[in-house]
Amino acid sequence: MNTRLQPEMLGATVLLLASAALAFYGQPDLNQKWEYLAPKLEPGLQQRTVYIDPAELLHLMNDDYIHLIIYDVRPEPDWNEFHLVDAEHIATQDFASQRDRLRSLPENAVVVIVSNDEFLSTEAWKLLMAVAKPNAYILEGGLNLWLNIYGVPTEEVAHHGKASLGKPDGRMRHRFRLALGDRHAAARPDENLVPQREYTPRVKLLKKIAKAGGCG
Amino acid sequence: MAPYDLVALFGTTGSYFVYVTIGFAFGFILESSGFGDSRLLAAQFYFRELQVLKVMFTAIVVAMILIFWSTALGLLDYDEIWVNPTYLWPGVVGGLIMGAGFILGGYCPGTSLVSVATLKLDGVFFFLGHVTGIIIFGETVGFITSFWNSGYLGFLTLPELLHVETGVVVFLVTCMALLMFAGFDWLRSKIYGKKK
Repeated sequence: MNTRLQPEMLGATVLLLASAALAFYGQPDLNQKWEYLAPKLEPGLQQRTVYIDPAELLHLMNDDYIHLIIYDVRPEPDWNEFHLVDAEHIATQDFASQRDRLRSLPENAVVVIVSNDEFLSTEAWKLLMAVAKPNAYILEGGLNLWLNIYGVPTEEVAHHGKASLGKPDGRMRHRFRLALGDRHAAARPDENLVPQREYTPRVKLLKKIAKAGGCG
Repeated sequence: MAPYDLVALFGTTGSYFVYVTIGFAFGFILESSGFGDSRLLAAQFYFRELQVLKVMFTAIVVAMILIFWSTALGLLDYDEIWVNPTYLWPGVVGGLIMGAGFILGGYCPGTSLVSVATLKLDGVFFFLGHVTGIIIFGETVGFITSFWNSGYLGFLTLPELLHVETGVVVFLVTCMALLMFAGFDWLRSKIYGKKK
């Protein structure tokens, strides 16, 4: 009896075992993907090249050439109280559903993630990069800093004043009399009327490399 | 983490050398597998020869396993790999046309190049016809734009379509391939008797 294992049978067994092992091992989830991407992307966080000044975000909001997407990752009560005009409220666990949209963004697209401080938005940025690696940035100082700069200290907001940014804890530290969402004046200040701020522009538009494939 | 920017790693000339090497290896394997012979390719459709099915599908399964194991281990960023978007209806019609052309001419576009490389006349004429068809399509596609862009389903993959984990899909596709090989071998032996 010929007991030699045929090469075809050996190959088939190897392929079967490799695919079965893969079925058990699984594919990386978003957190694991971020760990793989971290060596390349973490320096952007450490050197703060992905954090943009509120004045730069305001400029982007008024730049008709830029396809701007603002992701607001705060809890819903904070969102209802105040959010920027044209911002989209999204939970970080829903980022995966944005994958196709993010992969189809044009060259002039910029994504900015906002939260009350930087903590939530930084974690959200990591997840977003693991989903699709868009041209994404984080609002420096969060909406607490935004409202410090562009907040309206009138009767619209009860006892409005500058929030302390010394110990960021992720909370909205401005108080609002009414939950007006994006109907606050500070939701989209007039760039020509607000005090001008000096800032280092950080946003760079990415050149899309045409990808294609297929074999005849 | 792959895929790597070859131009950044090796410069323009170096990257061209990599492309040429990969192309050479691909063509070498196709020719040594007999894919430059239209009789072997056409015989696939009559179940006389199953080399095309076995070689191509084995390559597909091996590449699939390597891609997803590399992704699982963090060696490859799967999101950077191009996935053709699905345009369903033009895909179906195009597949029918290509299938008819394949069985009539005995080549697909890639294998016709393999045949041209060994100066087979039928491959040369198939290739010329193929290029002519491309030019005619390029000049007339503007008249069928709405059909050409119809049935858009995005960057659809089997795991998304079936709502099943990627690893499970890889295992199922591997099983399907192996069963297909065994099944077609059985079918061939039933139709033509056992291969000597």
